Amino acid sequence: MSERIVVVGFGPVAARLVDELLPAVRTGLVQLLVVGQESEAAYNRVMVAELAVGRTTAEALAMADASDLEADGVQVRLGVKVKRIDRARQHVVLSDGTTEHYDRLVFATGSRPVIPNLTGLNPDPSRPVLPDGVTALRDLKDAAVLRAAVAGGKRVVVLGGGVLGLETALAASEEGAKATVVHNGPFPLGRSIDRGSGSVLTNSLRASGVRMAGNARSTGVETAGPGGSFSALLLDDGSAIDGDLLVLSCGVRPRIELAEGCGLPVASGILVDHHLRTYHEPHMFAIGDCAEVHCADPSCKECRTASGPSGLVGPGWRQAKWLAEYLVVLARDGQTAADSLEPVPTEKPGVVVLKARGINLAMAGDNQADPWDEEALEAGATAGRARRQISQWADPEHGRYVKMTTRGGVLEGLVAVGMPRTAAELVLLFERSSELPADRSLLLRLDGPDQLDTNASSNDPQRTVCRCAGVSAASIEGSVMEGCSTVGEVSKATRAGTGCGGCHEDIKGIIEKHFQGAAA
Amino acid sequence: MPNGADTHCPYCALQCAMTLTPATSVAGAAPAPTAEPATPAAPLEVSGRDFPTNRGGLCRKGWTSASLLRHNGRVTEPMLKGSDGVHQPISWDQALMLITAAVKDTQQQYGNDAVGVFGGGGLTNEKAYLLGKFARLALRTSRIDYNGRFCMSSAAAAGNRAFGVDRGLPFPVTDLDSASVILMLGSNVAETMPPFVQHLQGARDAGGLIVVDPRRSATAAFTSDGGGLHLQPTPGTDLALLLGISHVVVHEGLVDAGYVAERTSGYAAVVRSLNAFWPERVQSITGVPANLIRETARRLAQGARAGGSYILSGRGVEQHVDGTDTATAAINLSLLLGLPGSARSGYGTLTGQGNGQGGREHGQKADQLPGYRKITDPAARAHVANVWGVDESLIPGPGLPAVELLRSLGQPDGVRCLFVHGANVVVSAPDTNAVTQGLRSLDFLVVCDFFMSETAAEADLVLPVTQWAEEEGTLTNLEGRVIRRRRALTPPPGVRSELWLMARLAEMFEAPSTFSDDPETVFEELRLASAGGLADYSGIDYAMLDRGEAAYWPYPVGSTGTPRLFADGFAHADGRAVMVPVTPSKRAVRSFADDSLALATGRLLEHYQSGAQTRRVSELLAAQPQARLLIHPGTAAARGISDGDYATVSNERGEVVCRAELSTAIRPDTVFLPFHFPGQENANRLTESATDPISGMPEFKTSMVWVRRAVSTQEHASYTIPAGTRLPVHVKEAS
Repeated sequence: MSERIVVVGFGPVAARLVDELLPAVRTGLVQLLVVGQESEAAYNRVMVAELAVGRTTAEALAMADASDLEADGVQVRLGVKVKRIDRARQHVVLSDGTTEHYDRLVFATGSRPVIPNLTGLNPDPSRPVLPDGVTALRDLKDAAVLRAAVAGGKRVVVLGGGVLGLETALAASEEGAKATVVHNGPFPLGRSIDRGSGSVLTNSLRASGVRMAGNARSTGVETAGPGGSFSALLLDDGSAIDGDLLVLSCGVRPRIELAEGCGLPVASGILVDHHLRTYHEPHMFAIGDCAEVHCADPSCKECRTASGPSGLVGPGWRQAKWLAEYLVVLARDGQTAADSLEPVPTEKPGVVVLKARGINLAMAGDNQADPWDEEALEAGATAGRARRQISQWADPEHGRYVKMTTRGGVLEGLVAVGMPRTAAELVLLFERSSELPADRSLLLRLDGPDQLDTNASSNDPQRTVCRCAGVSAASIEGSVMEGCSTVGEVSKATRAGTGCGGCHEDIKGIIEKHFQGAAA
Repeated sequence: MPNGADTHCPYCALQCAMTLTPATSVAGAAPAPTAEPATPAAPLEVSGRDFPTNRGGLCRKGWTSASLLRHNGRVTEPMLKGSDGVHQPISWDQALMLITAAVKDTQQQYGNDAVGVFGGGGLTNEKAYLLGKFARLALRTSRIDYNGRFCMSSAAAAGNRAFGVDRGLPFPVTDLDSASVILMLGSNVAETMPPFVQHLQGARDAGGLIVVDPRRSATAAFTSDGGGLHLQPTPGTDLALLLGISHVVVHEGLVDAGYVAERTSGYAAVVRSLNAFWPERVQSITGVPANLIRETARRLAQGARAGGSYILSGRGVEQHVDGTDTATAAINLSLLLGLPGSARSGYGTLTGQGNGQGGREHGQKADQLPGYRKITDPAARAHVANVWGVDESLIPGPGLPAVELLRSLGQPDGVRCLFVHGANVVVSAPDTNAVTQGLRSLDFLVVCDFFMSETAAEADLVLPVTQWAEEEGTLTNLEGRVIRRRRALTPPPGVRSELWLMARLAEMFEAPSTFSDDPETVFEELRLASAGGLADYSGIDYAMLDRGEAAYWPYPVGSTGTPRLFADGFAHADGRAVMVPVTPSKRAVRSFADDSLALATGRLLEHYQSGAQTRRVSELLAAQPQARLLIHPGTAAARGISDGDYATVSNERGEVVCRAELSTAIRPDTVFLPFHFPGQENANRLTESATDPISGMPEFKTSMVWVRRAVSTQEHASYTIPAGTRLPVHVKEAS
């Protein structure tokens, strides 16, 4: 008898899980029901800001197709919420009044935007009622709101200096809106990057047309626009930032109410062990933004330093892939076989690459220490562990900045602004935990022209002129001395220029040089 | 005859046209007496001949090719290995008797499939065709495959899956001349087929040459100074890179929607699968900056609208365990942009071996019958059985692809007696240490070659066969154009053609059907056998080729051939190209443990394949006498390696010792080794025999290795091949 798996939520992570389970559904090994609250099947939420500025289409964002899935035997319920879960009876109660049985249940409920506590906004996170002209940019409807503002060249105020806020503001500005970012602290991305990169980044954003309002504490929204819509963001110094649309980009919070409501232990997310199982209920699982991997074993080293859900989609996809394999083994070979699978690998701190056209920024790990900050460098350097080392390059005039924080030559933190090749290589090195070259400046020069092998100087007689036939300048000069005066004659005598013909100009140059010399 | 002939180069699939004329200076010239036997001067002179592919150009390999014809290392008599391990000449009659006895013994004891055949992509169409027939009807074995499995199998599998047919370039190569954008995926034509570079000039002038290669190869270097873009992904991530480019095409609205709707199927599923590969994420996987990924997509789309865009794939992206999927990703990209089958744009794969195209069409593959037919297809079997005049039940079923075939050598239920034709697996197969062990465990190994190659040196019996200038036949070049190879010289007395050998052996085995040793007769039979197949040659004959007619397959009787495929439709029943969603597999993602590096293998301009031929040309050997490990200066410094030092490159499969060459042209996490060299410089000691699940292609381009400075340089300092000397162990292979 095949097991029935119910997936609660149908975002990108659930879509990956469903994809990975499809073969088992087709063979009848498992039955699968997916319940999605939105009326659309899973789409790529990571790119909602791109959609909102008109850089992609809703069609292109689709990650699943309900009718295709149904043709494969997956049950898909869209526009329906799971109201509660009855663990004793092993069924879920849906908002349309029906109940569905499960053998295994997977929470993939994701997260919801944080609604900041501002006068004029309803702070109840589970029932946000936002005034017109205020959006949290989470789903397709939100995207449509921003899309209209961008298309109309309106003033867009983005509250929050995180990655999504910056991406939204930059893209909106590039596509014609007047964008302002309002953030705490002197520079955006506060906890992830350092002052140097923050300053360079701020300047780059300004150069791209984004207004940056730093060190700002917002207190409320003014809704004096048409029909009581948003008109300004109010700050604690009494000033106001006028705008037509306020985009709230204040982070996300895992959606855990459903799990909490049925008595499962939660922290910031739904607590799961290294097999993604909820505590005390091993046939329930959680993946993606709503899951917090933190096992119950107090001596587990990995969990001692673990933080909550990362909010990045990459780890969620890896969890989905892993869980699909687990569920298939479970259905086919039983509990013992499934539990003997390697647990889901611990995630490294996430790498963030700003999704932006005009600005290149990559960051990962801890970037707070400065080169001369002894205390920070010595931190953690006990029991024979190497101390931290910092290498840094700053060129604010040209919008470039790199900081590499290493321990034993291996990156613990990186931030790179305005140096795409360097950023790309550093990210690879970070993810592989590979040792950096002792001469760190090699990594800086990847974006520079000296990476081109300097061909031997054009006066070097031994340089190869014709690669195809392997003929040196000296041989060609020799043939010219012996009387060759055209490319054809040189080719005949030396075979130079008889392959791809790319060196004909060079040969001509050598001939001309010879005869000029003779004439002089 | 020796009055010369118009023919084509013996080496790569560009098949540059050349004219061979008797050398003027040779006659009567007595070689100066020296201690060592000197190689006589070439009996023929080579000159370039005007032809659309090479326009009269030849590379260094072609220019010097005639020097092998009377090379003093040539095998000119059948050579039997004695109990002392030394090969001694025997007569052909003795050789044929030995073979028949060995085959009969093995088959009586272990069954028909205990005899195997390993062919090559350098064999003429006639030889490749007859070899397939010989294996199945004379040896009655299913165990035949060939070295093209190491070259074209992934591109072929992907092409068949998407288009329903696999012809490397489905258009004449001169179509590239007018293109404004050409994306080269893992192909270094500037070294592998230099005269091809002429066809890139238009794109370079338009600033539209885009090269994907972890190394700034000679081809990638053309992109500097405004010629185009060079994308340098970390090895093993080509698939992700292609998905990233396709992602941009989809999301930036660059898809040719009309084309996709009318000419393809599978679009929606591919779009969904691309969603997870936005440029910044792909940057984190590949090391290629997001802006370059976007730029590439936009230029391709721009070119598709004006001027023409081509996507060409090479071994760099295909020789991986996910090679078929990577080639599929390239095809999907080309379909999204509406390139294949359009007037000024296209997709193609650059076939490598001289007859890499024809060699993969006429039954040399384990799963194939002539005309690119499937051996499992009852209609195909019936057709071929009818042409051969045998009962269909006499044709065995599918055999094993190359890597599995080699892995089975000497194993229980494996091959115990092997024929090798035009291949030098001791150098060119993956994991050569294991392959060599396999060869040594055989009961009997027969190698047909013109030199005592590394593989021939392992053989019980080496049979001397004709070289290109000594034989007639046809080859099919990288465009699917059938061309003539012509005889310009009489072979040395003891040398025979492989057609002759197969005909004699078939007689001795009392094989059904007929086995002619005349190339034209064999071709006439090939025409019939291929008729109605995908690669239909039935309308082609020697006379028309000799008149210089351009014959592109499919060329059914009564047609005028097909220079451009897909203009009216693809070779699936509904006429549409099939888009298949692909994603990087777990297997393809390599972890860089400790200080390991990715090893990519590849080629040098001066050498061809295993180097069996080119290492015997003194001019080429002098230019590239030994393998050099290309390594980034930063990576080298961390290992205490200076330019010119000896380095050891090792992994769990073996070790290579060679000199290091420091260059910023290679990524810091990657090293490069040419695979043309034998012994301790043999790069394939390190490659893995893991294969693509669809094509059987091995993983040649991303082995993980450790690189160290060699402990004792003295130990290795004497290891160089003295130019021009006769070496006991050297290589041939026409592969």
